[in-house]
Amino acid sequence: MLQVEGLDVQIRSERGTAQILQDVSFAIPRGGTMGIVGESGCGKSTLLRSILGIMPKGAETPRGAILFDGQDILTDRAASARGRIGFVPQDPYLSLNPVFRAGDQILEIMRRHAPGSRADHKRKIVELFRAVQLPDPEGALRKYPHQFSGGQRQRLLIAAALACDPALVVADEPTTALDVTTQREILALLRRLVAERGLSLLFVTHDFGVLASVCESVTVLYAGRVAETGPTRQVLDDPRHPYTRMLLACHPDRSADLSGIPGTVPAATAQPPGCRFHPRCPIARPDCATAPPPLVALPGGRAVACPHFETPLPENALA
Amino acid sequence: MPEIIGAEALSVELGAKRGLLKNRPGVTAVDGVSISVNEGETFGIVGESGCGKTTLARTLLGLQRESAGRITLQGADVSRSGRVGREAVQYVHQDPGAALDPWWRVGATLAEGLKIHGVADSAERQARIRDMLAAVGLDPALAERYPHELSGGQQRRVGLARILLLRPRVVILDEPTAGLDLSVQAAVLRLLRDMREKFGLTYLFISHDLSVVRRVCDRVAVMYLGRVVEEGSAAELFAAPRHPYTRALLAAAPRLDGAETGPALPGDPPSLRAVPSGCRFHPRCGLATPECATRDPVPETAGPGHSVACHRWRDAA
Repeated sequence: MLQVEGLDVQIRSERGTAQILQDVSFAIPRGGTMGIVGESGCGKSTLLRSILGIMPKGAETPRGAILFDGQDILTDRAASARGRIGFVPQDPYLSLNPVFRAGDQILEIMRRHAPGSRADHKRKIVELFRAVQLPDPEGALRKYPHQFSGGQRQRLLIAAALACDPALVVADEPTTALDVTTQREILALLRRLVAERGLSLLFVTHDFGVLASVCESVTVLYAGRVAETGPTRQVLDDPRHPYTRMLLACHPDRSADLSGIPGTVPAATAQPPGCRFHPRCPIARPDCATAPPPLVALPGGRAVACPHFETPLPENALA
Repeated sequence: MPEIIGAEALSVELGAKRGLLKNRPGVTAVDGVSISVNEGETFGIVGESGCGKTTLARTLLGLQRESAGRITLQGADVSRSGRVGREAVQYVHQDPGAALDPWWRVGATLAEGLKIHGVADSAERQARIRDMLAAVGLDPALAERYPHELSGGQQRRVGLARILLLRPRVVILDEPTAGLDLSVQAAVLRLLRDMREKFGLTYLFISHDLSVVRRVCDRVAVMYLGRVVEEGSAAELFAAPRHPYTRALLAAAPRLDGAETGPALPGDPPSLRAVPSGCRFHPRCGLATPECATRDPVPETAGPGHSVACHRWRDAA
């Protein structure tokens, strides 16, 4: 359904050229759910914007390809992607216009991208409101954003993302602004809609727990490169890349003490040569600093960008 | 350990307006809350947004006037006094970037608090700033930088240094790890723990991240719609939660193994303008009986230092 191949994105600013994404590749099959995880600055948002076709200011022409349904949407936006990629934003409080009615905001999207009359569109929206379990679906059309709670607004935005019958839904941390109890309901809703409608889902998150509950497979990004990719269960239970291993080891579910990965994520304008994780890696060898390690396929649909993935980590790896 | 700060039957009304012809009633954001925080401990307050945890913190701090009840600090009654007499209680802002003036060098921001607190000698201010920056693990030369030149982790350390310079006894931490990455979060929590030991601090730790609360807090109070519904040691509360709301809250946190424990909690908390009768949680509670809708539960002892306000906690286990 979606195939990202060797995507490179650079952004030029007065502080220099920043390599935001380098050689990023992954694929989501039809009906598949893929999670993108990584810490701030790893390129999650830029990847998402590249797929949505809204490149940040100062971005140079990206290299590589993003194939959607077989057509490259990176170079030719007008292709098949219009209205067929739905987007669920991060913050339901900032993503709706406070002075327009909920129904009108979705009608505006449909007028541009969906065939049919206004009455058809309205019927469709009510049906979607029912599907996302908004109370009083007909009445909700005429309500303003402030009349909904945070969880209801996120339901509204999910309905908006589905309005033009997308084949792929891209969600950018859709539950970080919500309470855990609401988060659980929204995640359950997303899981159900994806299964019922046969959608493909690209889900950006930094929370491994959320990832485990929604995504079949996962791609771990570090400093703009793919560290590791594979089926979620396998990656979480048996991580291979030293970064993934260390990150999961400091997850509160797995670590009793307060340890973290030493050092910080490098600035995008000052990426280290070779493997970008090597300055923080406890098992780095001299060759790690010379050439970026390629993503090597492993059995079971997994791949890892570290030649030393079988080396055990020392006891004191976390500090 | 003696109590350092406490509240007794504390109520806070927000948003009341006195008009010319009619008075508009406010909402009771904190309704009869009693807590007692011991010296040297980390006391966690958890709950969904709108449960009153931030209002409770602001009231203990003296930024918000209580409408009823009593606040004691180090044995003295400080109710209705505002910030006067509460210099020993300080607050670390949730967003450290927003709490620093972008036009001021870090050193100037740090010195301002000292000036207000009566440290008149410039040389002494500079010496104390240098020492404190080193204590929170920063290069003292950072005092010459502007906030935008610092990373998120560094800004958080500066935010903490700014408060610790004032030599508080009680520090209120509002969501101290919100928005931090997993690998950085541990470093911030470790710093907080080290500072608590070094300066003999007591923390009031407000958070909705239960996994963090579990790791750093000694005791925890769970709030729902302005009330404390359960309170106990972190170890006991997480191992054997008694209140149905606490159980639902714990079950809702996503887990690494992808397992879902217990039923979901449907719907949103009701508005403070329409607080349900009886037990405030009964419309969302799976164990509610007709009694729950009529009679307000009082806290009962469920174990040593463990109290729960629920008619049916014995059936919940």
